[in-house]
Amino acid sequence: MKKIIISTIAISALLFTTSCEHEFDTDVKDVQVSKGDADFSKYVSLGNSLTSGYRDGALYIDGQNESYPSMIAQQMKLVGGGDFKQPLMADNNGGLLLNVGSNVQIASTKLYIDSFIAGAPDIKNANNNVATTVTNTVLAGPFNNMGVPGAKVAHLLAPGYGNVSGVLLKTANPYFVRFASSPTTSVIADFKAQNPTFFSLWIGNNDALLYALAGADSSVETLTPPAQFATYYNALIAEIATTNAKGVVANIPSVTSIPSLTTIPTNPLTSAVLGNGNVAAGEANIDNLNTNLYGPLNQILTAFGAGDRIKPLSKTAANPLLIKDETLAPLNAQITAAATASGNPTLVALASYLGATYGQARQAKAGDLVPLTTKAEIGKTEPSVPASLSARGIAFPFADKYILIPSEITEINTAIDAYNVTIKAAAASKGYAFVDANKKMNELGSQSGVSWDGVKYTAKFVTGGAFSLDGVHLTGRGYAIIANEFIKSINATYKSTLPWVDPNKYSGVKFP
Amino acid sequence: MKKILVSTALLAGVLSYAGGFRVSLQGVKQLAMAHTSAHAEDASVAFFNPAGMSFIPSRLSISVGAFAAGNKVTFQNTNTLQSTETDNPIGTPLYAAIAYRPIEKLSVGFSFSTPFGSTIEYPSNWEGKEMVQRLELKAFYFQPMVSYKFNDWFAFGASYIYARGDVKWDKAITQFGGELNLDSKASGHGYGFGFYFRPDPKLDVSVAYRSPVDMKAKKGTATFSFPTASIYPLLGLDASGKDSFTATLPLVEEYTIGLTYKITPKWLVSADFNYHGWERYSKLTLDFGNAPVGNQPSDPTVSVSPKNFHNTKTFRLGTQYAFTDKIFGRLGAYYDESPYTDENFIPETPSYNTYVVTGGVGFKLKQFGVDLAGGYAIPQARDVKNSLLGFYGQSTATAFYVGLGLSYNPF
Repeated sequence: MKKIIISTIAISALLFTTSCEHEFDTDVKDVQVSKGDADFSKYVSLGNSLTSGYRDGALYIDGQNESYPSMIAQQMKLVGGGDFKQPLMADNNGGLLLNVGSNVQIASTKLYIDSFIAGAPDIKNANNNVATTVTNTVLAGPFNNMGVPGAKVAHLLAPGYGNVSGVLLKTANPYFVRFASSPTTSVIADFKAQNPTFFSLWIGNNDALLYALAGADSSVETLTPPAQFATYYNALIAEIATTNAKGVVANIPSVTSIPSLTTIPTNPLTSAVLGNGNVAAGEANIDNLNTNLYGPLNQILTAFGAGDRIKPLSKTAANPLLIKDETLAPLNAQITAAATASGNPTLVALASYLGATYGQARQAKAGDLVPLTTKAEIGKTEPSVPASLSARGIAFPFADKYILIPSEITEINTAIDAYNVTIKAAAASKGYAFVDANKKMNELGSQSGVSWDGVKYTAKFVTGGAFSLDGVHLTGRGYAIIANEFIKSINATYKSTLPWVDPNKYSGVKFP
Repeated sequence: MKKILVSTALLAGVLSYAGGFRVSLQGVKQLAMAHTSAHAEDASVAFFNPAGMSFIPSRLSISVGAFAAGNKVTFQNTNTLQSTETDNPIGTPLYAAIAYRPIEKLSVGFSFSTPFGSTIEYPSNWEGKEMVQRLELKAFYFQPMVSYKFNDWFAFGASYIYARGDVKWDKAITQFGGELNLDSKASGHGYGFGFYFRPDPKLDVSVAYRSPVDMKAKKGTATFSFPTASIYPLLGLDASGKDSFTATLPLVEEYTIGLTYKITPKWLVSADFNYHGWERYSKLTLDFGNAPVGNQPSDPTVSVSPKNFHNTKTFRLGTQYAFTDKIFGRLGAYYDESPYTDENFIPETPSYNTYVVTGGVGFKLKQFGVDLAGGYAIPQARDVKNSLLGFYGQSTATAFYVGLGLSYNPF
């Protein structure tokens, strides 16, 4: 009997010896976080709006508290990181006033969804677009988060970038005015004065992004030439290197997958849209446009072998926007001549106007990108043109600044690729940690997005969860995804073990 | 280690949380011997193999049993250092069986059992709340059956399975700050058959098959709740937040071969091999009535989640010793495979490769039998690497089972 029990126990024992991995190797409760080779006691972040915590088209307190540098700093505190002071705005609405004797508003308050109309968000400015933060009220620094919304690479080096008298002249930046140590200082000078032990740098987006958002219209914004970018960027890195701080550097996401440029379709003109919600009125409008504009233009263009530029509008399908494409061969003279010879008194009267206006006009098509801000311009009246032909994007071709055409997209992406070569090389030359922010943002922009504990984040406007209501800047959750990329890279480079943050715990898009 | 052995020796219970949501608790006596199948002593054999009814010593046998099953799942994220434990309620699987032999060759019987089920409850605000906060899964099998004894050593039996069940699934919808509750009854049909051999008075061999049962939820209710009203129309819902859904959950087939050998008149050993067809649970499709909350471009109301389960095996070894003709001691151990890889780990059905030790005692008082059993499971800690869900970390669990069984064999 004893023998039996012993042998049974022996069999059980055999089973158990192979099963000693029931417990975790290391329980996370026992993990000691380490700073590795880095010293996080004085962490200062450099960058633009993305670094400041800007979102929903404004800088405001809740957004600043969920900036990616503040998330990283929170984790650094576990291993000797110091306080992380940010130049907080005066309220949670954002926007800026400038005191020029009296207050004038120079930046709008944050965007919010007021309601959904037929499934589309009705987005408005908070607090009836009344700001309370006064630019000239300079805060006592220094500040750990030195992200300046709107800054390009060169701006971080520019003395006087925080001089209030330059704000309206656009030689200074109101957000830097708020925390610059003096009117003559530069961002980099204030950074160096803090003797940081650790830094992060994510700059350069605006060198391409502002141009892209301006429809690549160089009279509105410029695209920094890659050679110039390299000069400034390397100068900036050289300045940072004088501090002996360790740090992390991120590259620039391609701008063409952000919701601000991918949300509005190239063909939003349905009968309902063209009739302001009234389909019958829209169909009448289409008949009218086809008779008086699209039909004749299509006839004329067809005669010159360019009939695919403008085709008659459809009552059943969504129609494309009418745009000006400055890369097209101008057919001004041909259109004017044909209109003059048409015998139609209306066309004859407008002949030279038609040639000038539609000589490079075409309908938008796949490959073009329509900025979010263009949506509000659709159908707006273009001044000083015949009233019946004044509806922008419908009868009057959208100007350059309202639309990105493929050649412009290529130009921008080529520049960003070149910027990123510069950034990676600069980081490598100093041994700084490097974050491929471009790769992560492309992941967000992909169909499958980025999943975290079952929550799927994509670059879809409003419902994708990662991008805020301006379609350019991230939500707290989106910034947390980026913060983790920084943390991963810091850990890999400096042998630290900063814990990642949980993106789902931060705030996303707020719904009414 | 010593502690575990001692508690095993003390017959403190054990059982497993291994193969998907299959719960191996259909016989108290059997559990005590690692839930092996070739035991034709009373009606509890009915679930394991209908043909076993032909070898029950008494013409009428009734057997009932109940268990208390507790388990706790631990998940930890080694990147964020988050750690979560479930707070699962005690489960109470049941069974009842009756077998009657009106003529020597023919037995009829009925088995009621709860072979599939799971209740898992995480803290409602845990980091994986988007996947599951609470999942309660129940399935009841009702099986009428017959067995025909061809000769002294061979019988064939078959059963029809009618299954009813319900599922309640609570999860968060993080993007909208809300929650979704899925609630449905489901039913399905299946069958089972088996061969039971006794080529020698010392040897019992049981070969059985139980078919898959596709539990169809045809009238499910999906209840969405959000903090603000605008989201309901955005998701195609009315203000009540209710929508209908249909789904099919497979309860998978099982092949079993088991044998029991009497080494001495007082001492027997049993071994079993099971093969479970978890491959059938390759995906879960939820088809909502109106809400476009799915993930299929062709039909936005359809949500398909890959599960990628694979078939699994279980190995069981048990023994019984008759101290007297009234008192029996039993021990067992088994190994049960997890039906998925680390890349397919899902928190609503956590599964591990699991070792289980079991034990129990039995008493015979004339026509009555009383059995006690327990089991203690040692699931193996595993990595979680589900890239589709972005769910990474490590998980382990503990589980125990105790059972009380009664049998009545009047004639």
